Amino acid sequence: MAAGPVVKKIMDAYKGKVRLVIKNYPYKYRDYAHIAAEASLAAADQGKYWEMHDLLLKNSPKLDRMSLITYAKELGLDLKEFTAAIDNKKYAARIEKDLKLAVDMDLYSTPTYFINGRKVIGNRPYEYLKKIIDEELKNAKQ
Amino acid sequence: MQNNRFYVTVFLWTVVTFAVTCVAYAGHLEPFKAAPVPKNNPQTPEKIELGKKLFFDRRLSGDGTMSCASCHIPELAYTDGQDISLSYPTTKNWRNAQTLMNVAFFKNLFHDGRVKTLEDQALFPMMSAFEMNQNLDFLEEEIRQVPEYQEAFKQVFGGEPTRERIAMAIAAFERTLISVNAPYDRFVKGDNSALTEDARKGYVIFTGKGKCAVCHAGVTFSDDKFYALNIPENPVLLNDPRVTATMRFVAKVYHYNDYRNLKEDPGRYLITKDKRDWKAFRTPTLREVARTGPYMHNGVLATLDDVIDFFNRGGGKGNRFLKPLGLNEEEKKLLKTFLVEALTGEELKITYPEVP
Repeated sequence: MAAGPVVKKIMDAYKGKVRLVIKNYPYKYRDYAHIAAEASLAAADQGKYWEMHDLLLKNSPKLDRMSLITYAKELGLDLKEFTAAIDNKKYAARIEKDLKLAVDMDLYSTPTYFINGRKVIGNRPYEYLKKIIDEELKNAKQ
Repeated sequence: MQNNRFYVTVFLWTVVTFAVTCVAYAGHLEPFKAAPVPKNNPQTPEKIELGKKLFFDRRLSGDGTMSCASCHIPELAYTDGQDISLSYPTTKNWRNAQTLMNVAFFKNLFHDGRVKTLEDQALFPMMSAFEMNQNLDFLEEEIRQVPEYQEAFKQVFGGEPTRERIAMAIAAFERTLISVNAPYDRFVKGDNSALTEDARKGYVIFTGKGKCAVCHAGVTFSDDKFYALNIPENPVLLNDPRVTATMRFVAKVYHYNDYRNLKEDPGRYLITKDKRDWKAFRTPTLREVARTGPYMHNGVLATLDDVIDFFNRGGGKGNRFLKPLGLNEEEKKLLKTFLVEALTGEELKITYPEVP
């Protein structure tokens, strides 16, 4: 069970009711985790975040620079722009900021969810998160 | 003379049969009592506090991301609320993280009972490649570099941090994780009002038709023994290559020759190599059971309703221990009411330590 399909299902089921904010937490002992996170943000710039996300997971651990460019090509991204973004480390600082936030909050596990402040660590089935979201939506209406 | 002997024999067998029947169906349920403490590791407030710090210290894992509390979360009755426990980054676990509530009472630890004391238990997850993945020689040196720990170990043990002392301190902390003053405890001491009418009816099912107390007995509601109930495998065991890898790795470590072809969790068999232990797991405690799901050694049953249905069906296919119980919907509901209402103790408040 991976987090992506569950999150996508939630966003489909709760269109307009749930806002998704994603923070990056590339694992420090994996060579390509950081650059892969940067690639996902570079793809997001061109409207293909989830598509890149899925390709990264599918092809992990083959996530070196050249492989990432191949995936960008596969998705039909503007390669010049994409390559410049990862070569110039356009998103590196943003990812570092996310990492610092995680450390400050004493978070070390991926995925970790916060649903209106309620912390859930680790992969969870759709029904598990749905229950919390429904409770929070009910609270928000009151 | 012959006849007299015959009658005596018959009488004795009747007594024995009757006694066994009492054990089997009435169970040996007990109210709360003090947790046992081994003579070679007495509890002291300083040791418990040191153990608590270590329990929450991420230094105990190889990459500094996991502490004991990563999978034994105080707010979740010291489970992690997952079917399969959380794991070391990039790996996957293969079994469910058990609650630590009342763990002090157990003589067999882990689902497969591979160790007998909390002191021995504590080091296993630290060394495990898919849990905390730490090297214990390295850990000792890391802990020795922390002045606060040096001081605390000197005060508590009169010497340097060692792996054995780290385990002893953690064990001392774990012995404080006790579920106390559950409504059941008040009920069994004679306070009939401690349980609602439905819970009392559920208690009758628990000790009678439901046959739960046959194994879920004693102060922990566990006989601390092993049974092969043929619990269905969690599909991830074979669907997720990382989980499969973990299963086969553990089997390899325990010298299971055909580990490369293993397709199911052998349970206690890995430890004893006794065929009767194939897929056998230890009876879990039922105290705090409302808060410790998902259930079974692999978390394959998500809710208490699923668990009750499983036992009501007579357990897993082909098992030798269980028979269908024939509980109707109302009886299942009452049984669940007893489990939820009667066995949830007072909230165990914890002050999080400042890890040095």
